[in-house]
Amino acid sequence: MYLFRLAMASLANRRFTALLTAFAIALSVCLLLAVERVRTEAKASFASTISGTDLIVGARSGSVNLLLYSVFRIGNATNNIRWDSFEHFASNPKVKWAIPMSLGDSHRGYRVMGTTEAYFEHYQYGRQQHLALADGRAFASDPFEVVLGAEVADALHYKLGDKLVLAHGVAAISLVKHDDKPFTVVGILKRTGTPVDRTLHISLGGMEAIHIDWHNGVPARGNGRISADQARNMDLTPQAITAFMLGLNSKISTFALQREINEFRGEPMLAILPGVALQELWSLMSTAEKALFVVSLFVVLTGLIGMLTAILTSLNERRREMAILRSVGARPWHIASLLVLEAFALALTGVIAGVALLYIAIAAAQGYVQANYGLFLPLAWPSEYEWTLLGGILAAALLMGSVPAWRAYRQSLADGLSIRL
Amino acid sequence: MPRAALALLLLVALPVWAAAPKDLTWSEMIPPDAAPEVPNMTPLHDMSKMSDALSAESAPAAKQDLPNAPVVQSLDGQNIRLPGYIVPLEVNEEGRTTDFLLVPYFGACIHVPPPPSNQIVHVKSELGVKLDELYQPYWVEGPLQVKASSSELADAGYQMDADKIYVYELPE
Repeated sequence: MYLFRLAMASLANRRFTALLTAFAIALSVCLLLAVERVRTEAKASFASTISGTDLIVGARSGSVNLLLYSVFRIGNATNNIRWDSFEHFASNPKVKWAIPMSLGDSHRGYRVMGTTEAYFEHYQYGRQQHLALADGRAFASDPFEVVLGAEVADALHYKLGDKLVLAHGVAAISLVKHDDKPFTVVGILKRTGTPVDRTLHISLGGMEAIHIDWHNGVPARGNGRISADQARNMDLTPQAITAFMLGLNSKISTFALQREINEFRGEPMLAILPGVALQELWSLMSTAEKALFVVSLFVVLTGLIGMLTAILTSLNERRREMAILRSVGARPWHIASLLVLEAFALALTGVIAGVALLYIAIAAAQGYVQANYGLFLPLAWPSEYEWTLLGGILAAALLMGSVPAWRAYRQSLADGLSIRL
Repeated sequence: MPRAALALLLLVALPVWAAAPKDLTWSEMIPPDAAPEVPNMTPLHDMSKMSDALSAESAPAAKQDLPNAPVVQSLDGQNIRLPGYIVPLEVNEEGRTTDFLLVPYFGACIHVPPPPSNQIVHVKSELGVKLDELYQPYWVEGPLQVKASSSELADAGYQMDADKIYVYELPE
């Protein structure tokens, strides 16, 4: 114990260098843990976004691409598929339910999705949880009704009955708006922690209605314009949708239906199993993950080597200190353990400060990250793996502390006493 | 007398049997009396049929060979161990696959029709399994449930609530 007190007192004497060293370690620990946190949470939130869906079908592209745009609203579709293709497979006897999706428009940076009531009934996330309305109702027969995700309602301060205008394209600031056909907010969904929170849901009829007078890629002018009321009376059956999700009666028939869709003669389509596509996404990302992890490990190593350097340089100016300790009866191993303790104390302070820093950063950035990246970072206790990492850092610090310890152990008593300062 | 002895033997053997799962092979899941498949001897790439390419475009899609393939009813309730590849259906927050299809060969061989329904096992697992690679085979242990075909809907097939799932190692 007195050894520990001595080590502390000695560190306190050099508090500025000691603090800086601990701070360097803290920063590196914080980085390592942050990378680990973001990695696991990103995976968890991706995995909990979709559940209970057996097949996702879209225009022929890549499986990861289809998964990203249909479920995570990342990237864009390569092509639309025809409405009759959807109807063909929705009425297949193997299919229990089908959710059509039409994407491509936005409202102040949030994606708009055209769908049917089946979405609220059958879409599942997390552990087979269904969507629930926090307020209001799902859209009904009127095409100009919108149901907001929780995040959209929160961030833009919308409430039931508000009117809003959708925009063409998916930019946050849009120059071309469908401003002649405003939508009324009829429902707000409960928070799910998935991209659903950042989506505005309208009916397929509504999606069709806002584009009904767009003929040459621009809104119609003058007499060509069709008002909202006129549109209500028109046939709003969509010609095309972007993708659809299928739930099957029996999981065993998944492969059969997947093959049937992929070889559909009507038009080229792609059916994917969401679980398989997710797995492919992981293996795609694992290289980047590993690279990030290695980089942060090296940052930690740099922090520890900084500590080693600081202790080693101080050894020379502390020769007298050591000699005095020896002269009052300290044995060489006392001196050695003093230095190991010092390294350990520095690393421990660094680790604790690093973890504290991480939690402060998470607490501060939680809302922003959730709103902008849809990633929820919980203020949870470190996981088992994170404890292992922290333990590893402390062990590495002990190992490094033994280098100056060994040098001090070898220095003789006379060495410290004979120097002239 | 020999019959009684056999019954006694079964009585003694059954609990032991229940303790150690029986290794099952995929071919045992096809009833021995099932009609043998008639090989379709058309070569994959037959140049003389190139003119058929267009007519193939307008023909209906390839069907699963046997969407309602016959199952071996006697396997119902048996505690078995079966090797296969995992096709994930549900992944939980911890990244563990809790619901998957077990198939005898890996993934997407798009040259032949998908496996018949008696070569697919729908497995559920409370704990789940952490998948790193899709092409890693696993042993799956648990009681097998056999659902006989009841209707036109491909409802028939094998299901299992897995007790244990572990990596299949190459026998050295």
